[in-house]
Amino acid sequence: MNDTVIETKQITKVYGEQTAVNRVDLHVRKGRIYGLLGRNGAGKTTIMKMILSLTSITSGEADVFGKNVKGNEKQVYPRIGAIIETPGFYPNLTGTENLEIFAKLRGTTKPRAVQEALEVVGLPYRDKKIFSKYSLGMKQRLGIANAILHDPELLILDEPTNGLDPIGIAEVRDFIKDLSVERGKTILISSHILSEISLLADDIGIINNGVLLEENSMATLKKKNGKYILLQVSDTAKAALILERKFHTKDYSVQDTHTLHLFDTSLDMAAINKALMLEDISVISSQLCNDTLEDYFKRVTGGEGIA
Amino acid sequence: MLNLIQTEFMKLRRKNFIFLMMLSSLLMPLLAVFYFGAAKKADITPMQFYKWSAYSYTPWIILPVVLGILGTMLLYDENQNDMLKQLWIIPISKLEYFLSKFFIVFLYSVLFMMITAVCSMLAGILPGTIPFTADSVSYLFLKCLEIGALAPFAMLPVLAVAASQKGYILPICVTLVYTFLGFILLMVNMYVHPLSSMTAITIKDMPGVVMKQPVDLKSAFLCIGIWGVASIICADVTLKKRQ
Repeated sequence: MNDTVIETKQITKVYGEQTAVNRVDLHVRKGRIYGLLGRNGAGKTTIMKMILSLTSITSGEADVFGKNVKGNEKQVYPRIGAIIETPGFYPNLTGTENLEIFAKLRGTTKPRAVQEALEVVGLPYRDKKIFSKYSLGMKQRLGIANAILHDPELLILDEPTNGLDPIGIAEVRDFIKDLSVERGKTILISSHILSEISLLADDIGIINNGVLLEENSMATLKKKNGKYILLQVSDTAKAALILERKFHTKDYSVQDTHTLHLFDTSLDMAAINKALMLEDISVISSQLCNDTLEDYFKRVTGGEGIA
Repeated sequence: MLNLIQTEFMKLRRKNFIFLMMLSSLLMPLLAVFYFGAAKKADITPMQFYKWSAYSYTPWIILPVVLGILGTMLLYDENQNDMLKQLWIIPISKLEYFLSKFFIVFLYSVLFMMITAVCSMLAGILPGTIPFTADSVSYLFLKCLEIGALAPFAMLPVLAVAASQKGYILPICVTLVYTFLGFILLMVNMYVHPLSSMTAITIKDMPGVVMKQPVDLKSAFLCIGIWGVASIICADVTLKKRQ
């Protein structure tokens, strides 16, 4: 059974002479949280807009629930809740009034839908504060409330924690996690904050300059790239030679003249230390380390890191 | 479509300027009071008074400008606050979205002209400037209803411009140029500009009004119709393109 909710096939977006998104193949599976990670301007929002058919696709295809959104809007959109960029609302209306408008337009039949959506994001129901007086965090919360108002199966959230304070970020993160775990929602979330994605996502897609560099499950990513042996020695060039000759491995990277990362963690650390010392190389330290996602991201993106 | 229209009313909450604009319907009736009061003529007919207070500058200038501003305001918030993408993914048809705005403009226009009619009647009869006659009053209300119903159709091109713009400066400028152009073209060719055609239709059977050329109702309605349909198509296309 095909459990892919969103599938893009080589989608490309070209603005004039600039390629914003280049041949991206994205696969979001049912009931999972997919974190789209990339620097500002990497192409995350454009991908989401293309998936939602809010911007035309230069080439390629984007399917949601097995259908191309364009031409199937009436069947597909009611099953999606989305925030794209900063959520906009009527500035002269309160949060409740704004949501009542969207509930009416969506034909939401549940009588307490607006109240429940506001409660979930921690905004007061029937408050007198109008939207133009809202803080950025409140605006963002209202955007999330609007996205979940009609209880959609799929949520597409473009940087939903933008403008939230640390407690707010944690609350929204827990809430998104709950939506996926308890209610089985499929969620595509974009962010440029690594820690957020690493704490939230089941699957991850790393995008840089419009190119999807890696798509994998978080578990695999952690397994594959998490561990390495950190060697601090007097001479990394000599140490590298010994690793190659005696331990037959090239799975290392020289960081500087004294630091070396050995990714083949199956090797015996004691044996390495002994071999290095026998060759008159001082071992300052040798330890098993866990690579952070940020280190991995830097490696994958060619050292650019995250904004 | 009904939901869309209902939400259009909900969006008008706390938009005091829209209701304040309604006060401009009192302008010509008040001016008529002062004008005819100063003239101190004894034999002023109801038609003479109402021509001044309701059938002239109100439909020629005031109402089109007010409707242009209203149309711009109705479309401005959603354009300016980047809300359209949220509406499209509900989904909402672009055509229905545009027509719901038009419907509000239509209702506003009818209400505006009804207020003009009531104020004209009161401004003429209460100070004793004109006598109350059932014929003149019923004619006044019918004519105002006709003007109120036709003006929004004649203003469709301005609404289409407002739908295609993110800001309000261009639509407001277009409103002013469009309105005065309609007024000027009335003397040249009544069947080129929808506002001129609207005036031709409304003053066709008006007693005491002599036109330079005979009024051809077919051409007048055709002019409003062509411009209207073209505007709706343009608005639909530009809204789709902007997506």
